[in-house]
Amino acid sequence: MVVTSSARDYINRILQDISGMKVLILDSQTVGVVSVVYSQSELLQKEVFLVELIDSISKSSESMSHLKAVYFLRPTSENIQFLRRQLPNPRFGEYHLFFSNILKDTQIHILADSDEQEVVQQVQEFYADFVAIDPYHFTFHVPSHYIYMLPAVVDPSTVQRFCDRVVEGLAAVFLALKRRPVIRYQRTSDIAKRIAQEATKLMYQEESGLFDFRRMEVSPLLLVIDRREDPVTPLLNQWTYQAMVHELIGIQDNKVDLKSIGKFPKDQEEVVLSSEQDPFFKANMYENFGDIGMNIKRMVDEFQQVSKSNQNIQTIEDMAKFVDNYPEYRKMHGNVTKHVTLVTEMSKIVDERKLMSVSQTEQELACNGGQGAAFEAVTNLLNNESVSDLDRLRLVMLYALRYEKDSPVQLMQLFNKLASRSAKYKPGLVQFLLKQAGVDKRMGDLFGNRDLMNIARNMARGLKGVENVYTQHQPLLFQIMENIVKGRLRDVDYPFVGNHYQQGRPQDVIIFIVGGTTYEESRSVALQNANNTGIRFILGGSSVLNSKRFLKDLEEAQRVARSSTTVV
Amino acid sequence: MATRNRTVEFRKHRDAVKSVRAPLSSSAASASSTGPVIEMVSLLPSNRSSYAPLSTDDPSTSRDAVTVGLPPSWVDDSEEIAAAIQRARVKISDLTKAHSKALLPSFGDDKEDQRLIETLTQEITSLLRKSEVRLKRLSAASGSSEDSNVRKNVQRSLAIDLQNLSMDLRRKQSAYLKRLQQQKEGFDGVDLEMNFNGSKFGSRDDDFSDVGFSEEQMTKLKKSEQFSVEREREIEQVVKSVHELAQIMKDLSVLVIDQGTIVDRIDYNIQSVSTSVEEGLKQLQKAERTQKKGGMIMCATSLVIMCFIMLVLLILKEILF
Repeated sequence: MVVTSSARDYINRILQDISGMKVLILDSQTVGVVSVVYSQSELLQKEVFLVELIDSISKSSESMSHLKAVYFLRPTSENIQFLRRQLPNPRFGEYHLFFSNILKDTQIHILADSDEQEVVQQVQEFYADFVAIDPYHFTFHVPSHYIYMLPAVVDPSTVQRFCDRVVEGLAAVFLALKRRPVIRYQRTSDIAKRIAQEATKLMYQEESGLFDFRRMEVSPLLLVIDRREDPVTPLLNQWTYQAMVHELIGIQDNKVDLKSIGKFPKDQEEVVLSSEQDPFFKANMYENFGDIGMNIKRMVDEFQQVSKSNQNIQTIEDMAKFVDNYPEYRKMHGNVTKHVTLVTEMSKIVDERKLMSVSQTEQELACNGGQGAAFEAVTNLLNNESVSDLDRLRLVMLYALRYEKDSPVQLMQLFNKLASRSAKYKPGLVQFLLKQAGVDKRMGDLFGNRDLMNIARNMARGLKGVENVYTQHQPLLFQIMENIVKGRLRDVDYPFVGNHYQQGRPQDVIIFIVGGTTYEESRSVALQNANNTGIRFILGGSSVLNSKRFLKDLEEAQRVARSSTTVV
Repeated sequence: MATRNRTVEFRKHRDAVKSVRAPLSSSAASASSTGPVIEMVSLLPSNRSSYAPLSTDDPSTSRDAVTVGLPPSWVDDSEEIAAAIQRARVKISDLTKAHSKALLPSFGDDKEDQRLIETLTQEITSLLRKSEVRLKRLSAASGSSEDSNVRKNVQRSLAIDLQNLSMDLRRKQSAYLKRLQQQKEGFDGVDLEMNFNGSKFGSRDDDFSDVGFSEEQMTKLKKSEQFSVEREREIEQVVKSVHELAQIMKDLSVLVIDQGTIVDRIDYNIQSVSTSVEEGLKQLQKAERTQKKGGMIMCATSLVIMCFIMLVLLILKEILF
């Protein structure tokens, strides 16, 4: 049960039965879905010689009847309108329509009405409606992402669109895996409850025929939780490879855009970081920064040896061997350059922003106790000129989340200092965060200081010392997964929807975080899966967060909340 | 993975709509154009092969009918190249068989095998060379941006196939070379052993037997010399074709996509197409503007006006005088 191979299988099935030269037409969402699991060269092998977006296809009217058109779209009303305009004047020989989610009957009627020339050969639903970035990690691209933080009354239509997109995406994931889950949600989150209920309605009532799969012994579990239960993880700076690249530079659909951080030669402006295609990345994506440095150095040494032997061409045989190995050599060269560039740029950023000391304080705030020491450390860093505004804001937020109730005076001092130091700081953002995700709103034990057991565990850990100060934080998700493995996820905190019930432990669990996942959490999931406890976890979210995106969501939500008159 | 086929519903609704629409269209519209229209409708579903040249008899009805025209000419070129690649593939498998046959120790004269291998290798190399030249020509022609994209991608896919074939051929040839060399050495080694034994034997006997053995040794030596000369020639041939193929591969490598890089990403290709088309448009507009504003045009127009004025003055002068 792996999401990347499910998505790939769908695309294979779409292309395999249609012979001849094809053009593949996608929309802005399905482009992401297809690009992460299928490469251009694989498309060429399947005789797909043109890939276009549906809006640019409709602009020209040149006839290319020697091509067969394969459309792979989301069943949105816009796409149906595009098709409705194109079908009466077909440009291509044959039309094969594939939709990534459930079509409404009215949409089929509209399409049938407009197919005057009878060029449509098939209309199918192939449920690849999610972006499968890693084997156990998927995401959606949901517009107006910040809306989950606001109550539904503020903007009901946007919230409805958000929920619809999430529910459709989750339905597609389960259809791809051919299972129907039992659904639990986080009690304290309205939007999680809404999504859970709507998903249940879809899977058990509206389309129960579609979801009526062969029942295995134990149904899988879908757990819908809210990002605001763990606001600390997206705010922290990361030190493991994949998470660090996303935090410092930014990864979108497994692509890294380096143009934003400097000038690079044309072929290094954008690079691909995919665990399926890059074995070095697969081996190192969860390693910490120090180990990566060593592994890259080893890779560079190997490569230098190979290139030295390539330059030393004496005999005909050497030449023949060189030409034989040239493609491999070129691939290796490209790969080495990519990783060296990434690590170099990240080192530069770490030095510029003094992230070593900032991150140490962050980890202390997130993991260990000592309010007084924490206050001093944060104040020192706020006074430090070389610390950036973003980092200052993050530090104050982490402090506020941890010591919200401990010493209001000192908290107020920090707010004032932050406002005076940071020019671009939107006032009240930290307070807004506390209103959204403060200690009253959270039910779990984020810092391990509510539950007696956790306090004891933390003390023991403090005495033992940690292996690496920078990676000591465990996201809350880790605790949730442990509870599921031990069968101790409390019904009170995470109730079942309706009258679902589950005896014993599930074997497959999908955890969906409304508000976005982080790569630190996906790493946690991957490591948990590697432990072979008999339960397989898959993580999904409405986007993949880093601190910048999380803060942007907060700012947007704050702006909308302020401008709306219904919010108190 | 679950899928659902909605084609049946779709067809049902489409037929229902068609039966409603057909009587309507026959009653409306002029008499002359309805005939061909209905003909078209019934012809189209049966002629769904992509190259069927359907031409409308009446150009005025082209509004309603679909002109399924011929595909562009480069498609034929690409088909030829694909066919040539297929032929080369078949020949390579023949060559493999010929290689293994030639390497088997045989009593007869294996000149035939050598010739077969040589001709096959030459044919394959020339096929690949020709395909490569034609492939380069594929991109030269012009067309719309979408058509050129399709052409570029077809070219890429054929280049990948061609490169794989060349690499395959070279690998097989170098394996054959290696085994040839091993055989040659082995043969010499065996010879050496026999000579050694011969000399040992000879040393025990008298001078008479010595002479006899050395004569045999001489003929054997001559034979093995001939043999190794032949083998050397073969090796040189193989090496020459290896060189040629290396050249082809180098030329092709610019066309081929490196897997796993950003160029291999579908969304990157879509974006770069749209940006390059936009860039092209911008450049064209700029060029148009500069041309319009160009001093040349102003000069030319003012000169023409001056000519007219002079002509008029000339005529006036003639009339008045």
